[in-house]
Order: sequence, then C-alpha cells, then structure tokens
Amino acid sequence: MIPGDRDALVLRGPRARVAFRLGRRSTALAAAVWLLAGGVAVLSLTLGRFDIGVTGVLRVLGGGGSLIEYDVVVRNRLPRALTGLGAGAAFALSGAILQRIAANPLVSPDVIGVNAGAAFGALTVLTVYGGTGLHTAAGALAGAAATAGAIFALSARRGLSGYRLVLVGVGVAAMLTSAVSFLLTRTDYHRVLAASAWLTGSLANRSGLHVAIVTATLAVAVPVLVVLARRIRLLELGDDLAGMLSGRTGSGRLAPAAVAVVLAAMATAAAGPIGFVALVAPQIVRRLLPDRGALLAPAAALGALLVVAADLAARLLFTPVELPVGVMTGVLGAPVLLYLLARANRIGHTG
Amino acid sequence: MTRSPTPSTPATMPTTPTQATALAAAGLSLGYRSAGTVVDRVSLTLPPGKVTAVVGPNGCGKSTLLRGLARLVAPREGTVLLDGADVSRLPARSLATRLGLLPQQPVAPDGITAADLVARGRHPHQRWFRQFTDADAEAVSAAMSVTGVTELAERPLDELSGGQRQRVWIALALAQDPDVMLLDEPTTYLDLAHQVDVLELLTDVNRRDGRTIVLVLHDLDLAGRYADHLVVMEDGGVAAQGSPQEVVTAETVEAVFSLPCVVISDPLTGTPIVLPRPRR
Repeated sequence: MIPGDRDALVLRGPRARVAFRLGRRSTALAAAVWLLAGGVAVLSLTLGRFDIGVTGVLRVLGGGGSLIEYDVVVRNRLPRALTGLGAGAAFALSGAILQRIAANPLVSPDVIGVNAGAAFGALTVLTVYGGTGLHTAAGALAGAAATAGAIFALSARRGLSGYRLVLVGVGVAAMLTSAVSFLLTRTDYHRVLAASAWLTGSLANRSGLHVAIVTATLAVAVPVLVVLARRIRLLELGDDLAGMLSGRTGSGRLAPAAVAVVLAAMATAAAGPIGFVALVAPQIVRRLLPDRGALLAPAAALGALLVVAADLAARLLFTPVELPVGVMTGVLGAPVLLYLLARANRIGHTG
Repeated sequence: MTRSPTPSTPATMPTTPTQATALAAAGLSLGYRSAGTVVDRVSLTLPPGKVTAVVGPNGCGKSTLLRGLARLVAPREGTVLLDGADVSRLPARSLATRLGLLPQQPVAPDGITAADLVARGRHPHQRWFRQFTDADAEAVSAAMSVTGVTELAERPLDELSGGQRQRVWIALALAQDPDVMLLDEPTTYLDLAHQVDVLELLTDVNRRDGRTIVLVLHDLDLAGRYADHLVVMEDGGVAAQGSPQEVVTAETVEAVFSLPCVVISDPLTGTPIVLPRPRR
C-alpha cells in the first residue's frame, strides 16, 4: 500500500524480496479491454461472407468441421484476427512509450514518421529486391531504425521533447511518403495494387508468418518493458530529476525509444502502417484514467481492440467490398489528431 | 525522519544520516557546449549538516554550479567530492541515494497525484523486481507529513496552489532520503509568506536529521536569515563565502550586484538586511 494512493496495489513475494506495484484501475481496465478485444476477435472468426457461428468456429478450432470451414476459419480469419490483436497492441505500446518519454501526445510513431520509415524500408525490399515475408520485416526494421535515428539526431539539440521532434518528424514523414510514391511509379501494376493496400494498413491475406512476427516481437518487448517501465516513469519527470534519481548522466531514453521503434517497425511489417492507433490508444487511456497518464498495459489492450474492431467493420460494412483496416482507423483517428492539434494551438503546448 | 512509535519494523526504517555528509568542489569548471565556460575553477566546501545558500546576480552560474555538484553537468576541469570521494567514480545508485537535487522548474506528467509524485522519489531505493517495500511506504508518508501535504495526497498536482505544489516537490526530494539536498530556487514564484514557509520547512528538516542543505536563493535578506553559510557568486566564480554576517556587507553587495546599499542588522534575528539606496 502506498500512502495516500488507494489505487496502488503491491504484490509481494515471500519476505518482500520481490514486489510489483500495479494500479487497481489500470489493471482492471486492461483486463476488461483485453476481454472485449478477445470477444471481438472471436466474433470476427464467425462473421464474413461465410457466417459460421460460434459453435461452428469452436468445432473447427477443436479439429472438426468441413474443409471449407477449416480454410475460412483457420487459414484466413484466425491469422487475420491474431495479427490484428498483436499489431494493434504493438502500435499502441510504441505510441504510449514515445508519448510518455517525450511528454508530448503528438510524438507517436505514426505522426513522427517511424511508421512511414518502416513502410518505405519494407516496400523497398518488396519492389526493388522482390523479397517477401521475413525480408520485408527486416526492411521495415531497418527503415524504421534509420528514420528514427535521423529524426532523433536532427531534433536532439534541445532534448527529445517539444514541437521540434514533431515538426522534424512530420517533415521526414512527408519526405518518406514522396519516396514511397516514387517507388510505386517504378513498379509494375500488380505489385502496385498489392503494395498500396498494404500501405494503408491491411490485414487481408495474413498468414502464420505475420502472426509469428508480431507474437515474437511482443514476446521480446513485453518482458523488456516490465523492466523498463520504472525508467519510463522516471523519464516523465524531466532530464534533471531523472538524472538525479537514477544517478546516471546522459539520456536514459535510448532503450525505451528503441523498444518503441522496434514495436512500430514489426507491427508495420506484419500489418502495414495502420495509422492513428499508436496516437489514439494511449490518449484514450489518458482520458479514462486522467490521474495515471498513458499507461502501457491498458494502452496495449485498447490498441488491440481498436484494430480488430476496425478490421471487422472494414470487412463487413461495405460488403462485398473489403476496405483496408487503415481506412477505418484513419476515419476514426483523424478527428482525434485534429482535436489534439487544436488543443495544442489553444493552450500553447501539446501536453 | 520521525521515528514511528511502533518498533515492529526497525530494519526497514529510512536511513537517517548519522554523520553529516560533506560536499565539496575542487577547481571545478563547468560549461555547456554552446555557452562556453559558465563556472570557472570554483573551489568550495559546503559545511556538512548546515544550510548553505548560494546567491548572486542572474546568470552568474548558480544553477550550473548546483547541477555540476549533482553530476548533471560533467566537469570540464576539477572534481566534485562527496565525503572525499570523486562523485564521477561513484556507482549510480549510491550517488542517487546520497545526493538529491530539486530543479528550478521540475516537470510532472499531466494529471499526476501528489502521492504518486512523492513516491517517485523512492526510485533509487527500488529495483524493477522490488518496486515498493515497507521502507518506501514509511519514507513516503514521513516525507508527506513533514511537508504537510498528507491531506493533498490524492489531489492532482495541477490543481494545487504554487505553495502546495512546492511542498509536494520538496516531499519528493525528502522521500529520496539523500544526505545532501540541493534545491535550485525553491522559493521562486511564491509570495513572501510561502517563501518563509518553505525556508522554515527546509531548516526544520536540516535541524531534525542533520541533512546538508544547499539552496540557490535570490532574496539576500531571507538567505541571511535562514542560511548558516553563504556563497556569493559572480561571473562564474566565488566572490565571497562565510557566515551571513561576514559576507553580506555593503561593499560586497555593491561590488557583486552593482547595487549601492546600506546593510543593517535585522532587529528580530540580528542577521543582515540589505537596504538599497534610493536612486534619487
């Protein structure tokens, strides 16, 4: 129990060698939203051009059902739902980390160009070298890392926070978007079609590979974040206090920022640069728990929920046409971006 | 820290400095990449267990000196010594439990509650796998009760008044439980009553635990009243240091601040009071 903090819950091991602190409300929120996201994911397995029903889905997952049902559920819809959950969680985690360590809600990978860098890297591999699968993931990672390195170096003169990072990031993102357009003009027609769907962020035709990419990324990133969460809480107090309380000089931001970049890059590799999830999910958490900030666990859950729900809507609302999921998240997320910009304009800063 | 009346957890009490810790600078030069040298070969010893005030005109390097003492700015020359040991060689965690600095304008995340903020001062005493212990809980409640912010615990920081907010920040610095506390202009933006409040609080803390306290102050009269030791800085160097009575003289003030003045003795405390001469 933390004095005066009724929300805090401390879980202890024997003889207090191990103790973890959780927020009651954030844990409850994360659990509830994960349940909801799981529910929508299961629902998405049942709905579509072939309505199968929950019992049918369970029968197929248990090993029964017809060959067509197996194909639809296990080969098509299941990887799609899992990739959506994982990519949503990864984007949201990336956004929550960057927004918190920069103390600026606009510093999220989709706004500052990290996603665009990943997309450019992946697309270069796809179109120029004709690579597939894991090669694209490597391309995305290289693109995102190079972009993030460039943005941070160009804006680092006055620390990571503030408009500077956002402005440099928006500029870099614009340059990368033109670079992507240029790549597309040099590519043959069929590849352009596939690439442009992927560029909006699409969960169509996901396979086990995409699921593996996001699962592996999260499996590595989440334990790292359990250790780094403490440092992220410290970095929110600004450079001087963070340096003082950690006893270290220099920026402790590198490790959390690197995790955020890897998360955004791999999510982009698996599902394309789905826009606005990284920006919006942490902001929703901040509004739901105003005294707790953009917490990582509920943000991840919300990101997963946003992406599976948006994908389900994109798949069903305009049947027989399927929209890429990025179109839906864009429609939902753009107003939030406008609101944040308007608010920043009004109050003079973006916090 | 106040000792809890229940002797159930003696081993987890916050460590009270038994022997006051001495912080000293030897030939210390500090600067920033863009601004050149800001502090030039300063040597000084901050008396252990005492309150020291650093005063001087704007831009004379007070804040930089404080940040250099706290290892936030790497020395260009010279060393900072904590109990005789070079701080640049001290392990991070040990430094963070012995030396604390409250910046001039600390930043807090939006919407954070007072209790959550104060608890973050415990960082150097915690590990990622041991995030909160009874000792942490005791240090946090002691820090909040000493600074009188226990009632504000659940309030968001943005909703507090300037004086209350400053008390919360001091509570964070106390929760860190360092032997030497450095505070950069802790009274800025506060009205006179709250300035006195903060200074009374800090001298109380100093008397109770023998913690060494170093403050940057602008008000020479308050500095003279509350500090045991004064360091007057001018142009990145030390112009004078010693007890307030020795240091605050009309000559020094005129030389350092270019302010013609008369220094009288405070009728209440006997400490020096600076009266600027009227210009016409």
